[in-house]
Amino acid sequence: MRYLATGVLAASLALTGAAFAQQKAGELTVAMTQFPSTLNPHIDSMLAKTIVLHMTQRPLTTYNEKWEAICLLCTELPTIENGKAKPVDLPDGKKGVKVTYTIHPNAKWGDGTPVTTKDVIFTYEVGKNPDTGVANMEQFREIVSIEAHDDKSFTVTKDKLKFTYNLMNDFRLIPEHIEKANFDPKNAAEYKKKTAFDTNTTNPGLFFGPYKIAEIVTSSHVSFVPNPTWFGDKAKFNRITFKVIENTAAMEANLLSGSVDYIMGELGVTIDQAIAFQKRQADKYNYDFKPGLVYEHIDLNLDNPLLKDKRVRQALLYAINREQIVQQLFEGKQPVAHTNINPLDWIYHKDVKTYRHDAKRAGELLDAAGFNVMKDGYRHNAAGDRLRFELMTTAGNRSRELVQQVLQSQWKAVGVEIVIKNEPARVFFGETTKERKYTGMALFAWISSPENVPLTILSSKHIPTKENNWAGQNYTGYKNPEMDKLLEEIEVELDRNKRLALWTKFQAIYSEDLPVLPLFFRAEPFIVPKWLKGIVPTGHQYGTTMWSQNWAAN
Amino acid sequence: MATVISPETSIRSADDAALPPPTRPALLIWRRFRRHKGALIGAGVLIFLALLAIFAPAIAGWRGQDHEAVNLFNRFQPASAEHPLGTDDLGRDLLLRLIYGGRISLFVGLVTAVLTASIGTVIGLISGWYGGRVDAFLMRFCDGWISLPLLPVLIVLAAVDPTKVGLPAAIAKSPDLSLYRIVLIIALVAWTTSARLVRGVTLTLKTRDFVQAAVAQGASTARILFVHILPNALSPILVAATLASGNIILLESTLSFLGLGIQPPVASWGNILTNAQEIIWSQPMQAIYPGVLIFATVISLNFVGDGLQDAFDPRTEGR
Amino acid sequence: MTRFLSLRFLQALIVVLVMSFVVYGLIGLMPGDPIDIMLSGDPNMTAADAARLRALYGVDKPIIERYFEWLRNAVGGDFGYSRQHNQPVLHILLPRLVNTLYLMMGAFLISVIVAIPAGVYAARHPRSLVDQAINLFCFAGISVPVFFLALLLIILFAVQLGILPASGTRTVGAQSSFTDQLRYLALPVLTLTIANIAQVTRYVRSGMIEVLREDYIRTARAKGADENRVVWKHALRNALIPTVTIMALECGTLLSGALITETMFAYLGMGKLIFDSILANDYNVALVGLLFACSVTLLLNLIADVLYAALDPRISYR
Repeated sequence: MRYLATGVLAASLALTGAAFAQQKAGELTVAMTQFPSTLNPHIDSMLAKTIVLHMTQRPLTTYNEKWEAICLLCTELPTIENGKAKPVDLPDGKKGVKVTYTIHPNAKWGDGTPVTTKDVIFTYEVGKNPDTGVANMEQFREIVSIEAHDDKSFTVTKDKLKFTYNLMNDFRLIPEHIEKANFDPKNAAEYKKKTAFDTNTTNPGLFFGPYKIAEIVTSSHVSFVPNPTWFGDKAKFNRITFKVIENTAAMEANLLSGSVDYIMGELGVTIDQAIAFQKRQADKYNYDFKPGLVYEHIDLNLDNPLLKDKRVRQALLYAINREQIVQQLFEGKQPVAHTNINPLDWIYHKDVKTYRHDAKRAGELLDAAGFNVMKDGYRHNAAGDRLRFELMTTAGNRSRELVQQVLQSQWKAVGVEIVIKNEPARVFFGETTKERKYTGMALFAWISSPENVPLTILSSKHIPTKENNWAGQNYTGYKNPEMDKLLEEIEVELDRNKRLALWTKFQAIYSEDLPVLPLFFRAEPFIVPKWLKGIVPTGHQYGTTMWSQNWAAN
Repeated sequence: MATVISPETSIRSADDAALPPPTRPALLIWRRFRRHKGALIGAGVLIFLALLAIFAPAIAGWRGQDHEAVNLFNRFQPASAEHPLGTDDLGRDLLLRLIYGGRISLFVGLVTAVLTASIGTVIGLISGWYGGRVDAFLMRFCDGWISLPLLPVLIVLAAVDPTKVGLPAAIAKSPDLSLYRIVLIIALVAWTTSARLVRGVTLTLKTRDFVQAAVAQGASTARILFVHILPNALSPILVAATLASGNIILLESTLSFLGLGIQPPVASWGNILTNAQEIIWSQPMQAIYPGVLIFATVISLNFVGDGLQDAFDPRTEGR
Repeated sequence: MTRFLSLRFLQALIVVLVMSFVVYGLIGLMPGDPIDIMLSGDPNMTAADAARLRALYGVDKPIIERYFEWLRNAVGGDFGYSRQHNQPVLHILLPRLVNTLYLMMGAFLISVIVAIPAGVYAARHPRSLVDQAINLFCFAGISVPVFFLALLLIILFAVQLGILPASGTRTVGAQSSFTDQLRYLALPVLTLTIANIAQVTRYVRSGMIEVLREDYIRTARAKGADENRVVWKHALRNALIPTVTIMALECGTLLSGALITETMFAYLGMGKLIFDSILANDYNVALVGLLFACSVTLLLNLIADVLYAALDPRISYR
């Protein structure tokens, strides 16, 4: 036994001989919880993919950290005012728009080939082909045609004049000179197996951003090195590695052990973990809790006879103390939501109806709704029905389960019984919410972009049914003709002031009707070492990696 | 084979052991068990934990606390007279949570272990005794079963609407549904170990003289299996069952880790421990208490298993 | 013996075939397909998009039809593409398999090397101080959930002592050397070993105690046979019978069952791959991975049975 112990000790000492990876000059290792399944810009849709891709290339346009629309690959944002966008009448009588973009003159793929309109046309061809396997077809479907004027400028004709007419935020280019050989329009289904983004990922010709991919190991890590052909500010790191660590407790240990330097908020540790971490490691790191467009809320199944009654919905919201939850569980870092509009969004209406915790008011509303008989500590109506709901969410998400238990306790205090019934994410999102199988309440989040029109979430045309193949995201089954009309008006209102008035009306209806119970906006905790500069959280789905050229060691 | 010592001369049958009983067998077993200090302590610990679990509601009533009532202004309180172990992440008394958690964890561990051992024993006996095609079929069934992935089965079951498969509404609507589901799943998955074990012992025993003699005397198969073979197979079954019940308590925590375990607000040692992993740096005691309880239970189970093994074994020497 | 072996091979083949169907069915039964998951993530997808993607990924056909199509191709040596990674299945699977083999072999060898002497020693000196120490260590090992054990080891060796890497399979960006890989293997192997060693030690010990009480051992001792010879030759041989069974089973489950260890250490092994593939409806990868694990289990059981016969002369195969 003794020899064995000595042997083990000797072996472990030998293994530790190699110096442990400390922060090496010019290198950065970042932790993230998820690995992208494919890197092709248009196949599949996944947050991890866009985060990785934005290191290496840029869409035409995006929202910046101030939530303003800007140009990235184009030279100037086309508007009707500057004449680069023109409303047109389409042959079928619809009102469309022609938008002209110019690609940055110095944009070159990593192998030296210039980025040109050929790539734009090719991307459009790949994207609109129904067999390619593009997840988000909408951005290609709304395009009537693309016309190239020369190598760098082109005009897009869209079939509807929306206020977002000049945005092409998800239009990420595919290099024609590489991918043309892999894409056969007659057999587009084969493209996803052939695409160089997955078969030859380190080909520099696939990227034109500040960094290019030097090494990739599926499910483990991606390494980036500077791309010399990048037209913007030079990349500051010799090497950046994104390492996947799914377990957030292990991720924290990795940060402390120095095997990763920085935890990105978009795919990082949970907020309570970050808050606790900050208390212990206040001096070593900078912390940024960016409240963003991740809207945690409870969908109510409005087909449930109890929830059909607006008074019951309002009472439910009065009965819970969201300020207290946010203060005690999240140290006030996640702002309470009054509607789905974030207070940081310019369309936010500050005088919107709010529901501060008011148990008395909740009780009165429930009495008025007929639930005035207290039995076994819970409310019943005259017919003997108990005021009882199932509250579901994704199982194993600790933060949500904490919130859930607090809500259960607070509702119990006004006589509402809550039964918690959680499911694995894939059942919850794959079936329960989508096929509207939840009977009462479903707690989850929507992630969106600034001034997003929630047409598919609130319009009565988007209630998923078996007949429409479960399309649409109006899981609550909310039907309000006024809301339907409003959503369509907002989408095509180009005048900001008029639109603001419409948004104000929208928030008034939303907060009065309460098709969902708003909880709070989730904050993404960024844990940044003191020596790392240039990380600017955006709070929306177009994250920090879009500006990775600014990341620098101090 | 090289074994020179002839095993035939050494065999005692179960009947031999039972022949001159000095007192009633139960008493004899108890006397032998009593000699095993570890087993006695283990049994004491288990009984204590079980009593706590059984009387959990009474304890809650006596202390005037509710193990599910959230108090957000009382989170992570240090130990005090009111909260001997402090409070958890939602301001609930940790001691009371642990006592209630014991209800679930011990229930899952014991019930599932008994279920598992029973299924495994019956299949193992049949397989080992009949041999041939029956054995081949059962053992290959067993092999296939072992490689069956546990998680998709759990996910499928999680999605099945319990009222549709004929469960009464009282169970289907009960918050304990996830508990029954877990017991069922683990029992269905874990029986293979004891089945293979019992089969192995049966294979060995069936060639022995006392079994052959019983066959020659025309004893029924059931009698041979349960009277002659089972008692001799008991000690490996017991060892396997005690180890299994510990494993099952652990498996429950693993399921919590994967988000497929017991659901809140119901407490189990497994989910208290899993929830503590993210706060292990700031609140290590939240993990240590349930960890110690699991540890104590598993150790006690194993010592008791040891003691039982000795006690049931007629050859145990007196010391 | 030849007849016995060929029969068992045939049986194993049938089991693998049946299993392939069962697993296919199980994954198919899970609610929600990959398109559903995409739908809930993307507000702009329409019913037509969903139908188009379903057809594209072939999930619109009935499950039986898809299974037989898969089987035809698999028998022809074509295991298809991973839906998730858009790469051939073996391309994804093989490196993972190699990693897992390292992990498995490491844990298995250390377990056996430590467990057999420890178990035998404990059995020869029951209730001695050493026996109790071994017992306690075993119990400690099995009474800590793996995820927790892994976390503790990371905290101890990577954070506090800073001598071993916290996660990964090898150093990123460096030329992969054997010592480098060993350093990354150390903690996951340690975790698996601690979790498994207890089982083996316990079985060796209880088997050994059992055998040492047998009269033929006493007879041998009485006749003055060399004690070491009695213990290591005659007794151990018989005591190993239940142990062999357990170890064969353990090994099979290690292949696909190291999921938690792999997750905690971000180690690229089969367990995590199979788990992720099942959750992502990546049939091709999940099936091949599981069937491989299943085949290994069957093979190991076969070896265990043959060892049975070799170890115990009373068992024979007709």
